[in-house]
Order: sequence, then C-alpha cells, then structure tokens
Amino acid sequence: MSALLVLERIGKSFGGLTALSDISFSVEAGEIVGVIGPNGAGKTTLFNVITSLFPPTEGSVRFDGEAIAGLPAHAVTRRGIGRTFQNIRLFAAMTVEENVMVGRHCRTRAGVWRGVLRTRGEREEERGIRERTRELLDLVGLPGTISGQAAGSLPYGHQRRLEIARALAAGPRLLLLDEPAAGMNEAETTEVFDLIRRVRALGVTILLIEHDMSLVMRACDRLVVFHFGRKIAEGPPAAIRDDPGVIEAYLGAADGVADA
Amino acid sequence: MEWINPYHLQVASFVLINVILGVSIYVTLSTGQLSLGNAGFMSIGAYAAALLATKYGLPIPVGIAAGALLAGAAGVLVGIPSLRLSGVYLAIATLGFGEVVRAVAINWESLTGGAVGIAAIPQMGRVVLAGARVLGFSPGSLGMKPNQFISLTVFLILLAAAVLTVAFFLRLGRSRVGRAYAAIRIDEGAAEASGIPVTYYKVLAFSQGAMVSGLAGALYAHSTSFISPSDFTYHRAVEILVFAVFGGSGHILGPVFGAAFLTVVPEALRVISHYRYILYGVLVVLMMIFRPQGIIDAPLLRRLRRDRAAEAA
Repeated sequence: MSALLVLERIGKSFGGLTALSDISFSVEAGEIVGVIGPNGAGKTTLFNVITSLFPPTEGSVRFDGEAIAGLPAHAVTRRGIGRTFQNIRLFAAMTVEENVMVGRHCRTRAGVWRGVLRTRGEREEERGIRERTRELLDLVGLPGTISGQAAGSLPYGHQRRLEIARALAAGPRLLLLDEPAAGMNEAETTEVFDLIRRVRALGVTILLIEHDMSLVMRACDRLVVFHFGRKIAEGPPAAIRDDPGVIEAYLGAADGVADA
Repeated sequence: MEWINPYHLQVASFVLINVILGVSIYVTLSTGQLSLGNAGFMSIGAYAAALLATKYGLPIPVGIAAGALLAGAAGVLVGIPSLRLSGVYLAIATLGFGEVVRAVAINWESLTGGAVGIAAIPQMGRVVLAGARVLGFSPGSLGMKPNQFISLTVFLILLAAAVLTVAFFLRLGRSRVGRAYAAIRIDEGAAEASGIPVTYYKVLAFSQGAMVSGLAGALYAHSTSFISPSDFTYHRAVEILVFAVFGGSGHILGPVFGAAFLTVVPEALRVISHYRYILYGVLVVLMMIFRPQGIIDAPLLRRLRRDRAAEAA
C-alpha cells in the first residue's frame, strides 16, 4: 500500500532564512501522526507548504500519488486535505452555521444564476449543506442551539471545535490540526483527544502539531520531530520519548555533553 | 393626474440610478475590494448604449444590455491585474482607470464627440410614448400630459431595474456564492484554505460591480438623452463611494439608503445643492468619527426586524 501523503526533500526558505530543509517523511492512510518540536522548528511552515498556502522552495509533496506542490490552496483542499490554524481563523462575523457551510463550498456547485433563481437543484443542495453542517456540529460537540450565533462570540474551546467542523465540511481524507489543544485545560484537552479519535474513526488520516506531550503520546501512532527546520527523529511515541537527540533538542544539551 | 410632477419624478429617477450605482460599489466591496473605478465603468456603459442607439440605430434594450456587458468585460480586464493590489492601492489604481476612460472619451472625438459628448440619445420615455402612439394610445386617455407620461415611464423602467438589481444581489448574498464573498471579505487566506477559489470570486465580484455600473450608465444615457465626459469625473466616483460610506457597506441596503438619502437631500435643500461636495466631505469626516460602519449595519437591521416582529405580534 502506498502512503497517502509523501513528502520528499522539502525545503522552504524566505529570502535568506531557511525555515525547512530536507524534510522527507510519509503518512499512511488511517494514521495519526504527530509533528512535534520546539517553537520555531518549522512545523506550521510545513503545514503551509502541504496545503499550498505557499509553495516549497525545493522538493515534492505527493498526495494520493499526485504531485500537489504548486497547486492553488483551494485545489489542494478540494483534493482532500483540510486544516485548522494555530491562531484560530474563523469567519468571526459569520454565524457558526455559515462557517461550516463555507467549508462545504468545494463539494457543492450552485453558481450565480442558480443561487439567484433558487432553482430546485440549488434548494436541494442548500438543504444538503445544512444537513451536513448539523451533523458536523454534532460530531465536534457543538450544540445546535448556538448555530445562529456569531462565530467570534463563541468561547475559545468552541471556536477550536468549530474550526475542525469547518475543515471537515470539505470532506478531507487528510486533516492537518495545528495545535488543537493550545490554551486548553486538562479536561478540554481530553475532549480534543476524544474528538481526534472520532474523526479518525470516520476514515480521516490526521497530521497533528501539538505541544501537549501527554496528548501527543496518547493520540499519535507515530511522531516526527522537528528542530531548526530539520527532521531529527521519527518513530513510535515510546521510542521518541527516549531518543537522546530529541531530549537534547527539548531540554538543551547537558553540560559537557554538547562539547564532547 | 395633476399629482404626477415631472420634476419629482426626475429626482426619483436620479435616486434610482444612484441606487444602482450604490449596489455596484457594494458588490465589489462584498469581497473586500474597494473600487473607485465605477464612474469609469458607468461611462463605458453609457457611451456604449448611446453609440449603439445613435450611430447604429439598435433598439434601446439591446444597447443597455450591451453597455452593461461591455462594462462587465472591462471589469474582468481591470480586475485581473488589480488582484495584486488591495486596500488603498486598489482604490488608487481604479480611480486612475476611471480617469483613463474619461481621457479616452474626451480625446477620441470621432467616436465619442470629445468634450462635447453625445446628444440626441433616444430617451426611453419618449420612445415608449412614440411606440404607444403608433398603437393608437394617447396619454390623454389616462388624463396625463405627454411630459407626465414620459417622466412616469422613465421612472417605472428605472424602478424595475433598481428593484431587480437589488433583489438579484440580495439573493446572491444568501447563496453559496454570497457566502464565498463574505468569507473572502473576512479572511482571504482562511477562505482559500476552506476550498474557495478566491481569485475567481474576486474577479467575478469586480466584474459584477463593473457590469452594474455599466447598467446604471446605460440607463442614465437613455434617461437624460445627453452624456459628456464631465458626467463621469472622479466627483462621480467619490459620490458613489460616499453612498457606501454614509449608508454602510455591510449590507446591500446600506448603499441603497445612502444613495437615496444623498440624492434627495441636496435636491430638497436647493440652497445648499451648490455645496454638495462640501457636504459630502463633512459627512465622510463625521461618519469616520462617529459611525465608521455607516448608518445601516447588521445590529440596526436586527433591531428593525425585531421591532417589526413585535408590532406584528
């Protein structure tokens, strides 16, 4: 079986600054893979490259066998890669429901004329969008009663869930979650963990950036560790926890060891 | 039928043309693009319709449709390079476009009549009256004088055009495309990542705004029967902008209200109509200080809707 996502020798630099260099790894369908590393290691940059928010300077990204680097971001979403953002980027002035409905855009078709004339096909499509929206809000654990509220007025934890619902609305096969548990307490983090498991159970493969080590260790099948834009380790969580290179990256070198 | 006052109808007709222009700036703004080129697109629509009628004798509806479509096509051509610009840079570039159109209209004398403009454009009301007379109708049978009938006809045609334009974009706003516009306006990057082809929709909205401006221009030409480049200066562009700034650009009713209010008030207060642009300037400053979102915003509409629901209950 070939992997769902294959990254080969990805490099990304901004002017003279190298954010990523020589990144290669792959993600199998059905896996939950964690991307960890200290701040500034290039994790979010990696997400931006995979989703084509900006193209890699070098290397290739293959999704389901197709080279996707250089495609416009919306085309990547359409091919089945969804994402959330580290700094939540909801459409704050729109309602909760509308946010998820926007996510359904690339799976629906009604254009200007069908929208204005409200043809039967268009009305059916809208009904389908609303139905799917309700299912997704339910899946991420948001009560239907808030669907008419402005997304920006939701509490923080709800905003994170809503962003996941919006990403799922596009029907992704691979979901990139950028720090879904950031700023959450232990109980909320556990809820996020449960949600991630539920999403995987739907057949969605997950690539996860997270700083909460207990969540990462519990949730992920495999970890990839970044440091200064390079991949320094890859493997099952237990092995990563004991990897001397990883410990050094996180805790700094013990005195004397670095020079040895 | 004494109450049909041609002067009032003429003011009302200008209100309706300005309402359509208000919609035109709203449509591009609804994807977060501020275009000040709508006076230019209006002029393209007006000249196209006027020339097709005067030089080629085409029927008025054909000329109006052609004027709107040509302006829309120009909108695509201007919109694509303008994608690289945003905010105030886009505003400046489109303002420049409007001035280029005006310079062309002044200097291409063989086609446009230069600074003198085009006169004797068939006037919608007169054409309808002439047609009705051929069929044996006389305005007298309705108790109207010919000039009353003419003004009323123009008013009704413009009313239909304005209502259809507003209804079109109200409905579009509540559709899949409208949601895409709103998402782009709020956060382009998040919209793109959510699967919306941002470039496509920005050009679409820009071109729709241009087309609506062109429609307004074509209707204007066939209402006044005379156009010249001085009808489409940057004053006009700023006037259209003020409709949106004053009325509000968050909802289509904002610029509609702005256009209606700012057309009627200077007419009603004849004495100050000389100072129209000073009034606009003062208004913009005051709005920026006290109500930057414009008179009509979402909370106000919600309140109005609640009041109406309370009355109904």
